[in-house]
Amino acid sequence: MNERVQGHGPVDFIAEEQKPAAIITPADTRGDLFITADVVVVGSGAGGATVAATLAEAGLRVVVLEEGDWFPTREYSASVPSMLSKLMRAGGATAMMGRSPVPYLEGKCVGGTTVVNGGMCWRTPERVLHEWVSERGLPELSPRGLERHFEEVETTIHARYQDEGSQGGVNDAFKRGADALGWKLSRNKRNQKHCVGSNDCVTGCPSGAKQSTQYSWLPRFFNAGGLLYTRCRVKQIVTERGRATGVRGVLADPWQPRRFTVNARAVVLACGAIQTPLLLQRNKIGRECGHVGRHFTIHPNIKMSARFSSPVENLQGTHQAWQCIEFRDEGILLAPGAIPLAFMSAIFPEFGPRLAERMRDARYIATGGILVDDHSEGRIRALPFGVPWIQYDVTDADQAKFVRAAALMAELYFAAGAEEVYTPFHHLPVIATPDDIKRLYQRPPRVEDTEYFTAHLMGTCRMHGHARGGVVGPDGQAWDLPGLYLADASVLPGTIGVNPQVTIMAIARLVAEKLADRLRRV
Amino acid sequence: MGPEFVLRGYPRRIARAVVDAMVPRWPEFDVDLTDDVLADVERTLRGYPPIIQVAILGSLFGLEFLSPLFGPGLKPLSRSERHIAIARLETIANHPIPQIRMLVMLLKVTISFAAYSRPDVEAFLGYRRREWRETRQALRARLLAADPAKLPAVPAPLADGRVVTPAEFLSFLAALADGHAEQAAG
Repeated sequence: MNERVQGHGPVDFIAEEQKPAAIITPADTRGDLFITADVVVVGSGAGGATVAATLAEAGLRVVVLEEGDWFPTREYSASVPSMLSKLMRAGGATAMMGRSPVPYLEGKCVGGTTVVNGGMCWRTPERVLHEWVSERGLPELSPRGLERHFEEVETTIHARYQDEGSQGGVNDAFKRGADALGWKLSRNKRNQKHCVGSNDCVTGCPSGAKQSTQYSWLPRFFNAGGLLYTRCRVKQIVTERGRATGVRGVLADPWQPRRFTVNARAVVLACGAIQTPLLLQRNKIGRECGHVGRHFTIHPNIKMSARFSSPVENLQGTHQAWQCIEFRDEGILLAPGAIPLAFMSAIFPEFGPRLAERMRDARYIATGGILVDDHSEGRIRALPFGVPWIQYDVTDADQAKFVRAAALMAELYFAAGAEEVYTPFHHLPVIATPDDIKRLYQRPPRVEDTEYFTAHLMGTCRMHGHARGGVVGPDGQAWDLPGLYLADASVLPGTIGVNPQVTIMAIARLVAEKLADRLRRV
Repeated sequence: MGPEFVLRGYPRRIARAVVDAMVPRWPEFDVDLTDDVLADVERTLRGYPPIIQVAILGSLFGLEFLSPLFGPGLKPLSRSERHIAIARLETIANHPIPQIRMLVMLLKVTISFAAYSRPDVEAFLGYRRREWRETRQALRARLLAADPAKLPAVPAPLADGRVVTPAEFLSFLAALADGHAEQAAG
């Protein structure tokens, strides 16, 4: 079957009830697919959807290929295992190796990780942007250069403060502690419209309040005439005369093996900081520069929690309404983090009867997290048969920050009235009194004694002003392969210290505008 | 392997022993979750990539034959009593070498997710998550139906010199969406 990009009716909230005609599943087509477009975008998350919408609105014919499925909001169920299987890569069973393995989550569905994140919206800190300008040779990424992109992103994804009163007890307890200590809090902007505190951000917002790309960039993309194909796994980047001219791959049709080919004037990869470098490595692209899969940063974080004497009611409220920025200069961010009951059961080191006893008090427990600016760099490699190997070691310097941050977090919780504080350190899982906090310093936990987690994966195909310094140039085009563009978290030139979705979208928009200009000139 | 993955025979017996050791039990909660959770875990495993399914099978056999090194008793895990299995698994889960902890961690997370997202377990712990979600969805639908431009600044309508509780605010929003703004503010 030959298909070309074509227009269709207007799309409002695509996540509502019916599948828009612009989303094409394997059931909608037969046989192998041969598609022609101006641009093919691989991935529909923060980077891919932003690029696709921007290019389509510039009048280009754009198709998006998404490996995962499309799920309407009504299918976001309360069953955590079911939602992890639907929305996450490998059902959420993903971890990187190192001194202490770090589990991570990566969305695999229409909307990508924006469907399963906490929705925090932070612009890239100015000091980071200045570093990128001066040390990476990227004047395009100056605060002034990105200003209009930030504004456009924030408008499109509806980055707003939470409605007063809908934060919930976990956030209230955190604020109470910070206020008691006089520590500076920053109110989070989140991409939400009237979030009503279902506290299910991480398994897909059941009310549709979170403005993931399903509710923001993709409707714009569809209204500009774009098409999105689901269950398309790209395996090959097609090149002709030294230029990227399309992609090939397999369509995950449960009934028969099928293939697809997309011919395009430009290829944009936006598969995320893990899948993008793996795809390049499997295609032997970017080997000359030596940066593909390197400079991997993850904002490692640890979970802390505390039991209070009265119910916190962590079921009710939003994931994270505040962040404590008192220690930002030290590279430490403290934050509440309301999570569903099933996730809470996973953060305690106990199980069986002892975990059951701990969970009896679940309604009295507030959960939170600590994020540090990491100074380590990991690496991603494609092993034989395409098996991914992801290595990341938390450094002793970063661990020292975690220890200090855990002590600060315990102090905050006790100031808020906690009776006990729980840590992710195996040798000291419970801090029973404020006096016990000093035990963290007396016998600091090693990296190997600590349970980490991350959802911020960045920098594996970094942007750099010079061909020898990175994988892509300031326009997002691969230094080694004209016609191939990257526009996702992999191009971030370094760690940013805040939740990255706004940064990813702003840079994706910058890349898309430059690409649109170039294609229109040719 | 793949979407047709099924635990059979010996691996299933080991998996059952691990699930039996890990599922929650309370004296007041008269439900044995082992078989149901095992079925849920099996469903979850089917969604994992083949390489992880192989790793899980490897972990199960590792626990079966290596766990006697870490705790009481000498028998393989699947033939040990529950309290012995629990003791061994806890020792492994808190081992100073992270790679040894990994033998248990993925299984623990998978089993905990299955057990603690069950409606009966949630209800026992005082949660009505499904009902809560439904009320939130209904509230938001009403909020969207109301003209956003008419929404007054918040929490001013209720504040009046005192702190508004989350419950008050949310019921205020509900009343507002129903068109009883003045009543709510009053």
